[in-house]
Amino acid sequence: MATKTKEVLESKVKDSEIEDLTAPDNLKVPAKPALKPVVVPVDKPVVYPLDLPESEIRLRTPAVGQRASRPDGRLHGLGQTQYIDDMTFPHMIFAKILRSEHAHAKILSIDTSEAETMPGVLATLTGAEIPVNSFGPTLQDQPVLANEIVRHAGDGVAAVAALTEQQASDALSKIKVKYKPLPAVFDPLEAIKDDAPKVHAPRSNIYASKTIKKGDVEKALKKSDQVFHKQFKTQMVEHVPLEPHSSVAMWDANGRVTIYSSLGRITLGRDDLARTLGKPMNKIRLVGTIVGGNFGGKNEITTEPILAILSKKTGRPVKGTFTRGDEFISSTTRHPFVMDYTTGVKKDGQILGRKIRLVLDGGSYCSWTSTTLGKGGILAAGPYDIANLLVEAHAVYTNKTTTGAMRGFGAPQVCFAYESHMDDMAHALGIDPLEMRLRNAFNEGSVSPTGQLLQSVAIKESLQQAAERFGWKESTK
Amino acid sequence: MIVKLKVNGEIRSADVSPETTLLKLLREHLNLTGAKLGCDVGDCGTCTVIVDGKSVNSCLMLAGRASGREVTTIEGLASSEQLHPLQETFEELGALQCGFCGPGMIISAKALLDKNPEPTVFEVRDALSGNLCRCTGYTKIIEAVLDAGRIMSTAEAKS
Amino acid sequence: MKKRGRGMACMWYPIGFTVAANPSAATVKVNTDGTATLLTGTVETGQGALTVLGQIAAEALGIATDDVHVVSADTDTTPMDTGAIASRTTYVTGNAVIKAAEQAREILFEAAAPMLNVKPEQLEARDRKIQVLGFPQQYKTIGEVAHHSEIVIGRPAIGSGSYNPPTVEMDPETGQGKPFSTYVYATQIADVEVDDETGEVEVLRIVAAHDCGTPINPMLVEGQIQGGISMGVGFALQEEILFKDGKQVNPNLTNYIMPTSLDMPELEVEMVDNYDPTGPFGAKGAGEPTAVPTAAAIMNAIYDAVGVRITSLPATSEKVLSAILEQKAA
Repeated sequence: MATKTKEVLESKVKDSEIEDLTAPDNLKVPAKPALKPVVVPVDKPVVYPLDLPESEIRLRTPAVGQRASRPDGRLHGLGQTQYIDDMTFPHMIFAKILRSEHAHAKILSIDTSEAETMPGVLATLTGAEIPVNSFGPTLQDQPVLANEIVRHAGDGVAAVAALTEQQASDALSKIKVKYKPLPAVFDPLEAIKDDAPKVHAPRSNIYASKTIKKGDVEKALKKSDQVFHKQFKTQMVEHVPLEPHSSVAMWDANGRVTIYSSLGRITLGRDDLARTLGKPMNKIRLVGTIVGGNFGGKNEITTEPILAILSKKTGRPVKGTFTRGDEFISSTTRHPFVMDYTTGVKKDGQILGRKIRLVLDGGSYCSWTSTTLGKGGILAAGPYDIANLLVEAHAVYTNKTTTGAMRGFGAPQVCFAYESHMDDMAHALGIDPLEMRLRNAFNEGSVSPTGQLLQSVAIKESLQQAAERFGWKESTK
Repeated sequence: MIVKLKVNGEIRSADVSPETTLLKLLREHLNLTGAKLGCDVGDCGTCTVIVDGKSVNSCLMLAGRASGREVTTIEGLASSEQLHPLQETFEELGALQCGFCGPGMIISAKALLDKNPEPTVFEVRDALSGNLCRCTGYTKIIEAVLDAGRIMSTAEAKS
Repeated sequence: MKKRGRGMACMWYPIGFTVAANPSAATVKVNTDGTATLLTGTVETGQGALTVLGQIAAEALGIATDDVHVVSADTDTTPMDTGAIASRTTYVTGNAVIKAAEQAREILFEAAAPMLNVKPEQLEARDRKIQVLGFPQQYKTIGEVAHHSEIVIGRPAIGSGSYNPPTVEMDPETGQGKPFSTYVYATQIADVEVDDETGEVEVLRIVAAHDCGTPINPMLVEGQIQGGISMGVGFALQEEILFKDGKQVNPNLTNYIMPTSLDMPELEVEMVDNYDPTGPFGAKGAGEPTAVPTAAAIMNAIYDAVGVRITSLPATSEKVLSAILEQKAA
């Protein structure tokens, strides 16, 4: 068990430096001998230069276009950037969350009574105590703490606040949760079938769809000299911010709650907190610091409402920091995609029509899936002028880790498919891959798959510039 | 148990429980929060400090094992007049983005440059291979370490 | 035997949310010495957003990067912002910052006009001065003007503004509409070596040419591209959350493999010269798109090296080797 610091003062503090602070020296009355001298702890502060000359680039005008160094860069290098987990507050305690081991189960009961008697434990929390126990940026289909059904192995079911992190972790093992396992589905192509177990019964597992139609794709495929088809698949990926999610919540006597959080979106975060806590927005202060890596994974609340309520219950600041394991199993991840591409081309490489079907493994909750579906669908045909197009995209619930926003919102997945497909066609037609792309790429004023007139288009320029730098022509086999 | 060690040139001691790691001792007992907790099992390198000249994952070392040894943390690199050359080059090149890996990264680089001020690119990559970074692709970090090495060896040659 | 191959991939990527409103607001306060403070509700998540927004505010006020201090990320004090998401900060928040700075600048122009005996519309803010258009020798420093405006006239130079990218709802049947205000474009080319006996892929070099409109800070854009490529390399070759009976089997950094300093290829990063008239000083964005084409380029390079088409990511050694063996058997 971690004990409170007892700094033993070293030779730095000599006896002569230990002042008797109870005896003001402007009074000539001698101090009472019974009083012990008060030892002022000497914690030598960190040493760093306080007045460095600013780099010349930061002083230049005009400012735009300058390779100016970042003001946070110096603090990063000195180890002085304060991330949430570096913050402490007087009387701060620590929260830990118990997570489901089941991928899909009904919660029959949660008994926290034994955990409450464990050493150092000050409070516990279950979903039933959360005023509005749901959140989500598009669909509010995710519980803050599950209290009826768990939908993936990682759903939080109860929380403990204790004097130390270790005590909180120890108490988790004393929480008794009775589950009734339910049939689960893990493969999005299985989940799409009518008889698949329903992740959010009675709703269908297909929870979002998008169609993009332009021209007449069937006719275009018939008119094509050659038609290519291939299926591509991608995997589930974790953001791995080096800083695990971390927040501290503290309630004050005016009923205001202040939350320091590693969120990348404080405006939406406060909205979600107001909703889940059932409080007016002006009673909530959400403060972000420098976030230690986001990549889309820190764009929605996670434990913040739990910490806020535990703070209210205990009257103390409550910190909650994810372990690396929490980060993997309970934060969002990148959507696995199943992508079917059918493309008709002329002999000279011109794409006449393209048909695409995307199935997104939407995991257990919606999170940013609708956005991923939308962007993935709109971008799926690639940066190419294609007159005849059909994109059908579906997001499907499975009993897996929640998939959400991650750098690119579906674009890395569809780019892997459309660009692999492009090379396959180029090779089959005997056209250089660079040439194949240049023949089909957007121009300024091209019309996008959604009928948008495009401006500031630079796809051909980027192709040529990269090819030149690489030495593409010179390295042709 | 009382652990007494030298941290950034100062003798420090603290009363900790036996399972306390060096990282916890530094962060929670000595208020040196530069070293970070990123994984707690020695995979990510954000907790790197130098113990007796060698870079170690402080999350894997018990505080008791550091007793009587010399520890350098990121807080011990700069002086009141100037930054360490690594801190300078990392700042100038924008080598860090979110910065969370930075203290561990710079400490690993210092451990390398203290022994080998003119490393090759491969030696730098190798020395940093235990420090994960998700933001930068390591490119500017490697450049910054090479630049700092050049500054340090020029300074040495002059003195 | 190790075989070399090269592969390219290009992409397009939008800035901001899909149709949905995603506004940003900003406040700019000019101090009486000509320095300024910018208030933004976005959060610095490592990408350098605050540096870029500070540079945009500085440009609009005609002062230097270091003259602007940026305050961010506090719902009690900073204006709303949709946040660090969707590669939107430079473009959307940047446009809001310009509007706020222009409002503050207008106050300065109105204060300076009588001082310089011209009309406000004859003034410009440059090099820390308010000067007469075409007659740069006729000027007052921004500090003098800001002080005069606030202390003498009693009108502090403070401005606020907001921006939301214009979009048009998509038709539910056909998807036709204008979901985004603007897009960026990029190409990456990978040079790889594949060991046809082990299936191991080594990425030797990646060349990247990215359009982000005007790079507000080229050093930070390079950092985004380099970092995005590293994420792309992991997506292409290493990273995968594995499940058994619905439970993750590798929820740790020992068994979930992401790129280290030893895995990174040599990077050659360039920006494509471009200017978007709808963006702040021609800028668009650079965050997410940098991670988009990498995996495709590497897969095309693997095909070029050993003639196998990898259709599911990641292209682990086992997967590449079994594809090579299958092809030999066929």
